Amino acid sequence: MSAGACDLPAPRPADLLPRVLLGGGALLLAALLAGLLLGPAVVSPAGLLATVLDRLGLAPLPAEYAREAAVLMVVRAPRVLLAALIGGGLASAGAVMQGLFRNPLADPGLIGVSSGAALAVVAAIVLGPAVFGSAAGRLGLWLQPVAAFGGGLVAVAVVARLGTRQGVIGVATLLLAGVAVAALCNALLGMLIFGAEDRQVRDVNFWLLGSLAGARWPQLPIVALLVLLPALGLLGLARPLDALALGEREAFHLGVPVERVKRLAIVLAAVAASGGVAFSGLIGFIGLVVPHLVRLGLGAGHRVVLPGSTLLGAAVLVLADLAARSLAAPAELPVGVVTALLGAPFFLWLLRRRAAMGEDA
Amino acid sequence: MIRRRALLPLAAAVAGPGRARAVQAGGYGRIACAGSALTETVCALGQGGRLVAVDSSSGFPAAETARLPRIGYYRALPTEGLVSLAPDLVLLSSDAGPPGVIAVLREAGLPIRVIEDGVGPGAAEAKARAVAAAIGVDGERLADAIAADWAALDAPIAALPRPRVLFVLSLSRGAPLVGGRDTHADAAIAAAGGVNCAHEIWSGYRPLAAESAAGLAPDVVLMMQQSLAEAGGVAEVAAAPAIAVTPAGQAGRIIGMDGPYLMNFGPRAAHSRRDLALRLHPGLALPPLPARPWIGG
Amino acid sequence: MIEAEALTVRAPGGRALLREVSLGVAPGEVMAVVGPNGAGKSTLLRALTGELRPAAGRAAFAGRALRDWPPRALAQRRAVVSQRVALAFPLTVVEVVAIGRLPWLGTPEAARDEAAIGAALRRAGVAALAGRSYATLSGGEQQRVQLARALAQLDGAPPPAALLLDEPTASLDAGHRAALLGLLRDLAAAGTAVLVVLHDLNEAGFVADRVAVLQAGGCVGLGPPSEVLDPGLLRRVYGLPFRRLVDGALLPDFAAARSAAP
Repeated sequence: MSAGACDLPAPRPADLLPRVLLGGGALLLAALLAGLLLGPAVVSPAGLLATVLDRLGLAPLPAEYAREAAVLMVVRAPRVLLAALIGGGLASAGAVMQGLFRNPLADPGLIGVSSGAALAVVAAIVLGPAVFGSAAGRLGLWLQPVAAFGGGLVAVAVVARLGTRQGVIGVATLLLAGVAVAALCNALLGMLIFGAEDRQVRDVNFWLLGSLAGARWPQLPIVALLVLLPALGLLGLARPLDALALGEREAFHLGVPVERVKRLAIVLAAVAASGGVAFSGLIGFIGLVVPHLVRLGLGAGHRVVLPGSTLLGAAVLVLADLAARSLAAPAELPVGVVTALLGAPFFLWLLRRRAAMGEDA
Repeated sequence: MIRRRALLPLAAAVAGPGRARAVQAGGYGRIACAGSALTETVCALGQGGRLVAVDSSSGFPAAETARLPRIGYYRALPTEGLVSLAPDLVLLSSDAGPPGVIAVLREAGLPIRVIEDGVGPGAAEAKARAVAAAIGVDGERLADAIAADWAALDAPIAALPRPRVLFVLSLSRGAPLVGGRDTHADAAIAAAGGVNCAHEIWSGYRPLAAESAAGLAPDVVLMMQQSLAEAGGVAEVAAAPAIAVTPAGQAGRIIGMDGPYLMNFGPRAAHSRRDLALRLHPGLALPPLPARPWIGG
Repeated sequence: MIEAEALTVRAPGGRALLREVSLGVAPGEVMAVVGPNGAGKSTLLRALTGELRPAAGRAAFAGRALRDWPPRALAQRRAVVSQRVALAFPLTVVEVVAIGRLPWLGTPEAARDEAAIGAALRRAGVAALAGRSYATLSGGEQQRVQLARALAQLDGAPPPAALLLDEPTASLDAGHRAALLGLLRDLAAAGTAVLVVLHDLNEAGFVADRVAVLQAGGCVGLGPPSEVLDPGLLRRVYGLPFRRLVDGALLPDFAAARSAAP
């Protein structure tokens, strides 16, 4: 065909990647620093430095920083790290779901994670005292996370099962099954709330709004295992997801084991998202909005979108949590409220922009 | 963003959770309090000046609580917000939470005292003694005064007929949210010489079907003043389908009382008991209680 | 190279979409598949790519049944251009073409990704569009980008390679049609086996070494254009008289069809 005169090398995803990693990493680092240094309790950079030096065994902690060190080590550091892990996991799972469903509105909630987790947690809150008696209070610290994680996974398993015919996952069927399972979970949740006490209903409400206030060090390795590992695994799906963006047939012709990729994506995203909500309650809009932000700024190639979303999601949740604990200090806003408050208007703007640009496909 | 320089270093900042500081009489200068009964008790003990923060339910006494930062709903406590206040004592109602946050607060070395949130006879003076011991002051006088006031009402109230009372927590969602047994309202009604007509049907607060309300046949509907106002006032509540079918609705006997005053079983418990008894039994004369300094707003 | 032996494909309901079709495309050969709407052209193409499982018969590539090919090894030797590809995300042209390099990920060939993409963009005449968003292109431009994607995929393929296209000229103007058909001939000249579904019989006559005529799922003609594109056969297949012009071009006789209609 006519030889194109224009040989300008357009930026390729591969070229962008180092910049994404560097930029995203710097952003996350800045967010982490802000998360550690800012908040209602005063922590000075010198206090942070002294704490780090002390923890590394390089210099003993000066007495005047004892209080700041306690705030940092007990309250802030585990919380900020938990926020980063969960934010990264939710955003990466969201990006993968959007790629898999070829639908920019998808997020892990669509395949049942949030509704399953919510149902299981509400069951734990409402039925826990009846089942475990007085031990429920003590068990509560672990009962709810275990219930949330398990509930999310079970719901996804049911949805995936309903969406599979002869070993082939029908993406449209999967979506509809997700809607149906979510509706069923909500109905059962309503039944439980109906039978719950007013106080329990308020507890349920707060769980549904999400919070990182209960972050503690022992949770971090667990969350890292459940969220970070799957999120890293999801990064490996970038190229196949690019092929899937052309359609399942095209991906097949490009040698992509389509069914295996779909199953892997669903399992990893479900684990990451369920692990995320387990210790924090429901946190909306991170999985939905962050991948869009990345696409808007850096393009839609998954080799950029996946690592970019993971890093940006981590940074965004750290900052959202900073806002949650600062804006109403000394009281605390539920972090899910903050993410929705920031995310929903942005999302609406995005929708209008898409419609205006004629990308409403 | 509220930033406060710590006046005192965090008590056990370095020591860790194991070694809380020993109680010195009158030694606590920065008390954070979650639970309206506890806040009232601290103030009734004359120690309101030591409070540095209270939860959103603590609005009494207004003069002492209005100036204080709020740490939110007592079942959704903040971590860092509390730590930032550098309290040397955190008084928590046994109902406060969530447990994960309390665990973090303990780990951060905040000295936490959990005070049993009891109801009924003896509950208010038990709180007075427990709070006094926690903050290191003498609570016997307050406890004795509350006990004496409460006891003064026992005989007159025992002699009264017992009207059937329906406690409605909220009417905003259509079906009234009705308090059964194991609720603060249930204990308040019983103490004031009434019968909680939902006592037998369930525990806690649950929505009552409009059709079942008639069968409970309450003579009086009791509400918190705030929810009564939200529901549109006495006339609106009396006209609500679930209430209109009851004797209380037909007679327009809808009572509103301040929520914490009615049922927190704090230092005002005896006076609240007397007020409710008077509202439940119109025309009744009860012996006046001595003027106590902690009753007036 | 691309082989079908008594290939039968059934719809999920059991209706036969393709009945015992046998054909083969040799390296260096262009075969055009023609036939009326619903004759089974796209079904044949999808069965020959392994996308549809035959109910009976055998679809093979380079002498090996399709289902025995590891997907990736197959993708390194054979590319497919489908009818219309809509993107889920606003990828740029160069990103779409880069997706064609997926089968080479992790192989030594991946070092040539950059060069292969550039060459494919130029060959398909879309280099000037490289930075544009795919979704904003016209239908014809999108088709050419998909062709470029397939060319990038076959760059470095161990010969002989194969290219299957489903109505690639549908949205193209006359100039780009000529360019595309010429490109297919060039590919064949370099040893690639090309199977292309076409609507226009004259395009088929121009580009193809052999033409397969499908009707109602069966192959009713297979051979050089001069033999197969015969007005008698075409009349039976399309239900329409055709005239052969002096230069060999075929013209459907719309006027005769209209007057013959009741």
